[in-house]
Amino acid sequence: MPANPLPLLQGTLDLLVLRCLSVGARHGYAIASIVREQTRGDLSVEDAALYQSLHRLHRQHLVDAEWGPSENNRRARFYTLTPAGRARLREETANWRRYARAVDAVLQGA
Amino acid sequence: MKTDGNRDPGAGSRKPFWYLRRKNVPSEVDEELRVHIEMRVDELVASGMSREDATREAMRQFGDLEATRRYCREQDETRENVMQRTLSIQDLGQDVRIAIRSLMRVPLLTATIVATVGIGIGATAAIFSAIDAAMLRPLPYRNADRLVRLYTDTPPFKFRFSAVDYLAFTEQQTRFEGHATFTDRSVTFSNGQVAELLRTRVVSWQFFSVLGITPVLGRDFNELDGRVGTPMVAMASHTFWLQRLGGRADAVGSAVRLDGNDVTVVGVLPPSNSPLERRQDLFLIQQFTPPTRKGPFFYSVVARLPEGADRSLAAGELRAIHRALFPIWKSSYQDEKSTWSMEDLKTNLVGDVRAIAGVSLAAVALVWLIACANASNLLIARVAGRRQELAMRAALGASRGRIIRYLLVESALLAIGAAAVAIGITYGGMQLLQTLGATYFPRTGEIQFTASLGWLLLALAISSALLFGLIPALNATGGSVDEALRSSRSSTAGVGVRRMRRGLVAAQFAIATPLLIAAGLLLMSLNALKSVNLGVDDQILTASIRLPGAQYREQARISAFWDELQRRLESQPGIAGVAFADGRPPTNPGQHNNFDLEQYPAGPGGSQQVTAWVGISPGYVNVMGMKLMEGRLLEQRDLDAQNAAQNLLSAIVDQAWARRFFKGESAVGKRFKSGGCTQCPWTSVVGVVSDVTYDGLDQSQRGTVYFVTDGQPFRYLAVRTKGDPAQEAATLARVVRELEPGAPLSELATVDQLIDQSLVRPQSLSVLVASFAGVALLLSVIGIYGVMGYYVQQQLKEISIRMALGGSRGDVGKLVVGHGMGVVVAGVIAGIVIALMATRLMATLLFGVGAADPLTFAGVTTLMIVVALMACALPAWRAMRLQPAAVLRNE
Repeated sequence: MPANPLPLLQGTLDLLVLRCLSVGARHGYAIASIVREQTRGDLSVEDAALYQSLHRLHRQHLVDAEWGPSENNRRARFYTLTPAGRARLREETANWRRYARAVDAVLQGA
Repeated sequence: MKTDGNRDPGAGSRKPFWYLRRKNVPSEVDEELRVHIEMRVDELVASGMSREDATREAMRQFGDLEATRRYCREQDETRENVMQRTLSIQDLGQDVRIAIRSLMRVPLLTATIVATVGIGIGATAAIFSAIDAAMLRPLPYRNADRLVRLYTDTPPFKFRFSAVDYLAFTEQQTRFEGHATFTDRSVTFSNGQVAELLRTRVVSWQFFSVLGITPVLGRDFNELDGRVGTPMVAMASHTFWLQRLGGRADAVGSAVRLDGNDVTVVGVLPPSNSPLERRQDLFLIQQFTPPTRKGPFFYSVVARLPEGADRSLAAGELRAIHRALFPIWKSSYQDEKSTWSMEDLKTNLVGDVRAIAGVSLAAVALVWLIACANASNLLIARVAGRRQELAMRAALGASRGRIIRYLLVESALLAIGAAAVAIGITYGGMQLLQTLGATYFPRTGEIQFTASLGWLLLALAISSALLFGLIPALNATGGSVDEALRSSRSSTAGVGVRRMRRGLVAAQFAIATPLLIAAGLLLMSLNALKSVNLGVDDQILTASIRLPGAQYREQARISAFWDELQRRLESQPGIAGVAFADGRPPTNPGQHNNFDLEQYPAGPGGSQQVTAWVGISPGYVNVMGMKLMEGRLLEQRDLDAQNAAQNLLSAIVDQAWARRFFKGESAVGKRFKSGGCTQCPWTSVVGVVSDVTYDGLDQSQRGTVYFVTDGQPFRYLAVRTKGDPAQEAATLARVVRELEPGAPLSELATVDQLIDQSLVRPQSLSVLVASFAGVALLLSVIGIYGVMGYYVQQQLKEISIRMALGGSRGDVGKLVVGHGMGVVVAGVIAGIVIALMATRLMATLLFGVGAADPLTFAGVTTLMIVVALMACALPAWRAMRLQPAAVLRNE
């Protein structure tokens, strides 16, 4: 595990959550695990922030929520992307790429 | 209101009652987060941690649990709220669509409710508009609350001022900001071809400035106009200017020919319906010549108090001026009890309309209430009939609140329909009141659609919806769903519904009864008025004639005209006799006069006697068909002697007069002095004639003095005809036109027409109240019929069992009728009690019948019982014809 996990940029967490849901319905714990796994600890994502993000997206009707049984048979809340959420994911992904490219270009040029 | 027992929307949150499908946000968030922590703990335990350490680690990794819980709840609440709002709007739209469809399926019920409640609301609003115009709104003058009317106060009479009074008041008053006087006079207007009679008001020069009226054209009167010697000027009303002066600006400054004199029009008033100007054609300037005696009392006085003035000081000053003035004119006026007083101009102009306003408003408002009770009743029956349908909806998941809301939507739609009808009725009613209402409401010209009327309509519509909507809705949704679904004729749920409906029907009868009694009393009064003996024959045609003043200045010329007119008319084949008088029955005595009896002088501080005082031509008594009871009639020689002496020497009186002052003795030969004149010679009573009504059919006979006269330029004409008097109208007009084209013939009417005219007011009021009472009765009957039909429907099984067990058909009939009449009798008894308390308030509107007239009360009670019996008989008859075997088999 690297010494200092990076703090998350504002608004980026929502993008990550949307991305995690793009492959299918998942509950909060699964999303937390995936984010942790895929960033290999480079990013510090608190569970608290993750749930806040989920509920925020839910309020914006970008995700739907439904109760269902988890893998080990617990009652868990499963989230899926709504069409609006899918559109938002596409849009935000493109934005992020542009942003990263732009920052990168400056860093390389300098 | 709690909506849903299973899902409490959370403590402390205030939600409207339609807030129905709310999720329980807090517990959902809690559960989600708890599951997360548990999963994490499980994972850590699986990797070899102790459960205790794992729990601590899981909490650490999670971060701020409390803040997250709060944040998530907040987000979810917001989302829920928005969704609920959208959903309830969608639901409402759906409810409206369903309700419209289901109301269209019962057109008769819908139409009945919409029409009856609409009529109730509309009529109430229309009557309110008249009351608003008459009593509630201030007079349409500048600072109208400071305007007062001054009068000579001789209880029980209120006299106007005399010229002496007004001039003295003008000189001595200090406590009024302004004042003016007015008196009415009709003048002949001639445009060169035809002459017509104008309604004019002679006003002092300050009249318009005191009221705050500015002419739209020309100038106001000024002080110079009011001085004797200045040429006469006039102010035209807006209508007169448009119709007779062509509406041209140059009409100002031109002359109009009035009574044969040219009078200059100096200005034109704005259009107005205000009580002091409406229906007047012209306003003439008043010029006072110094008076020689105290009377006559012709001048109405309006005065304006200064801002914030102490009214008692002003009133005190009035009394003081009168006290100082009194001794100066004692020779021609001795009533020591009289004084001057003032009252609000509005009170004076509006008069006492409270009784009429109260009766008419109560009539229409009660009809509205009955219509609502009836609607409520019909809807309860409808809802009761739909119990199964509603129970089905409840079983399919609609909550009680949702069903109540659906039913309220139905009522709201009905109320909206009723409101639409009501607006039409209000509008029509206002038109009607503006034209016909003038007979019993003052200021009808000012009736208009005001904001307060709009609010009243809205309030009545909403109250209607709640009145006929809420009771059935609450009623329908009580009781268990299972039960309603299972039983085909729910007898248990029926009990509550039945009790409610019976209560409503009893209330309908309790309201309808006093209304019918009021209508009955008014009709009895009308009947009594119609049977009043006017005291004159009915084969008489009457009219009035005013001679143009300029051509008829001298006494001799005037009397020559009347003589010639009489001669020419009497030579017509259809005319049997002609006479003239200053007054005309049944409402116009011409004048009242005060007098002192020789035998019973008014003591110090006592008031003089006052009676009607009618100037007649010698033939009057015979032409009118009155009877001479005692003594002799007045003749031409009385007139000659009177003219020679310049004083009243002989008079005849009617029986009422003789009875009033000389009970038990003969009035012939008694003497009096008229008008408070102390130096005049005695006037002798030479004959007694039969009574004629001059003060209105509803007034008791207070006595009349007749004297002969021939010198008046304005007189009523009485023509006895050989055939139908209406046939001679054209002859009359032709003869008058041939003799004097400048003297317009007006107020043409037969005696029958005169009676009808004086009955317009009581007649229209009793028609109004009677028609509303009729509607109330009809609605009550619909109510009892509906309830009894429902009762029989509900009791089919019980009745059948009774009959199967040997009960006779008569028993069944008695059971059903008895059941219904119990309700009716309870309602009627309550209604009679209400009527006994309420009809006393309308005593001033009654004539010849007491407010608690037993005949009317008994008649109305009988009517209600008989009608209700008939309404109960039909369901009873249906119950008696039941085939018990068939009914029981079907159960």
